[in-house]
Amino acid sequence: MALFRKHWTAHEADEWTKEDFWACVFSSLSYVFLMIGLALCFLYPLLGIAITILGGVFVWLMYIAIDPKLRTISADYEEKQKAYLRNLDRIMKWEQHD
Amino acid sequence: MVVFTFWDWLWLILYIVVMVFSGVLFYTLGKRSESDFFLAGRGLPWWLPASSVYATHTATDTPMWMSGVIYRYGLAGIWYSFFAAWCAVSAYVSTRIFRRSLAYSQAEWQTLRFSGLGSELLRGWMAGWQVYMNMMILGWVGMAMGKVCHYAFGWDSWVGLVLFSSICAIYVLAAGYWGVVIADFQQGIVVFLGILIVSIWGVYEAGGPAGIVQRLDQMGETWRLNPFHFTGWFTGDFPIAWFATMLFIALLGGLGMGTTIDWYVEAQRIQSAKTVRDASYSIWGGTALVLTRNSLWAACILGFYVLNPGIEKLADYELAWFRVGFEKLPPGMVGFFFAAIVAIHLSTVASILNLGALYITRDLYQHYLNPHASERRLIWVGRFATILVLLGSFLYGSIMDNITEWLIFAIWVMAAGVWLPNVLQVIWWRFNSWGYLSSWIANLGLSWLVVWILPQAGLLPTLPDYAQFWLLMLLGLLIYVPITFLTKPDDMDHLVRYYVQSRPLGFWGPVRREAERRGLIGPPNTEVINGTV
Repeated sequence: MALFRKHWTAHEADEWTKEDFWACVFSSLSYVFLMIGLALCFLYPLLGIAITILGGVFVWLMYIAIDPKLRTISADYEEKQKAYLRNLDRIMKWEQHD
Repeated sequence: MVVFTFWDWLWLILYIVVMVFSGVLFYTLGKRSESDFFLAGRGLPWWLPASSVYATHTATDTPMWMSGVIYRYGLAGIWYSFFAAWCAVSAYVSTRIFRRSLAYSQAEWQTLRFSGLGSELLRGWMAGWQVYMNMMILGWVGMAMGKVCHYAFGWDSWVGLVLFSSICAIYVLAAGYWGVVIADFQQGIVVFLGILIVSIWGVYEAGGPAGIVQRLDQMGETWRLNPFHFTGWFTGDFPIAWFATMLFIALLGGLGMGTTIDWYVEAQRIQSAKTVRDASYSIWGGTALVLTRNSLWAACILGFYVLNPGIEKLADYELAWFRVGFEKLPPGMVGFFFAAIVAIHLSTVASILNLGALYITRDLYQHYLNPHASERRLIWVGRFATILVLLGSFLYGSIMDNITEWLIFAIWVMAAGVWLPNVLQVIWWRFNSWGYLSSWIANLGLSWLVVWILPQAGLLPTLPDYAQFWLLMLLGLLIYVPITFLTKPDDMDHLVRYYVQSRPLGFWGPVRREAERRGLIGPPNTEVINGTV
């Protein structure tokens, strides 16, 4: 069984799930490891490279956790965007909603 | 004083011409509509707004600030820049929610999230505040450029302030946000190359990695190489309590909108991305570049430290990175370095000019004065607003020496007491416009009391900034939570419309159930087709 879901319906992707949580965790860890790792590359090269590579692994984990879901959300949402923009235009012009 | 050779001048002039020309080239796209002038038609692939996030947040004063904290605290000072990590969470939470709202600006989002008079007051307040803040920020970075030009060429500070911001205004006026992102992309490349070259050069000049470590060992200061070197749990000027507060503010701040001053810039980039996915990756990618850029600076400043230890005055060691570039690079490369500085400066100025103009045009002129204005008129108003923000920045820049303390205070006001309300407005349906408005008003008064008045009267000790944050947050809670419960919730129709479109995270149970009751969305594991569950 895959660690993270790869296939979503539009309705399922709209819900907040464990994939969102893990994407945030991996994203935060990747920032820490990339920032510290790259700085150490100029001071202790071997240690710095190892930490930077670990940062890259967290980026990859973040990507596989969230990308299938983001793709589904985006595809579904772009279909609705024109209608939403018309609604926004009515708000800007102080018009009543339906 | 820095002496330019023929090749230095060639680099610089060539670069400025190419940069302005590439921005102006998008004049035709920028004038198509308001959406194009301020959001590039909401059609950008993720890497363009990402490069704009990176280039915008690389300002002339940023290397000064990074030089200051690294020179003082060693590698551990890099954590001062980790506030940017709010994007680690925001990229997958508040960015997604905000992109789905389709608001042009954070001020506009207030009227989509909240309803009634309170929401209109909030929009007007936030738009006015942002116009003011953008002029201040431009004045701030403009004066930083003035100082660099004074150091390098001996020019009066106002020359650096006025000259480069005015050059930048050419392509912002012509092509709006299209000009900003296209110029930001090429500026981002030049900036990254410039930082990389100067940083590697600085490390090399200091004897390379082994040389820096050896010199620090001889000086008995190897603690400078430890990224987790703190001064105690609560003691000293760099305690673990500060570190924990920073992580709390940075990471949980990603759940909210406006939890840092950078959000307002990011909000425009989020809406300019062509999909929700592009918006998420643009914020994540741009910030990853910001943080790794800081790593390069940190290594370079440590190299500078071993070559120039014992500098006492902040004003002197703040220029560390600039000094490495101007003093150590070979002739012919100094022009490239100065071109990188110009790129650093212009990318920030362009973004802030266009952002300030957005708030004037969309949130003040169009929303309150002329809702039926034509697209052509809105673009012209956008151009006049750009000039207004530019002139305002000259005014603030010219008096900046006297008001630096006020600027820091203004930024602090935004960060401390309204940090939690900025999260609550996203994650809690019952938090209404009156609660949010009262948090801003309360924070204006409380921050004066806690930061200045009570310590001066001897009624409160002068607290470290992290303790001020917690105190302001708790005091604010005592005001805006009762006001929220004493006033009515926002209109349920309005909340349902917002919920269905944006699908926010958090405590939205009653709104969700109402949306399900109306058949607008289905319970989990069901599907809605043409409005039917």
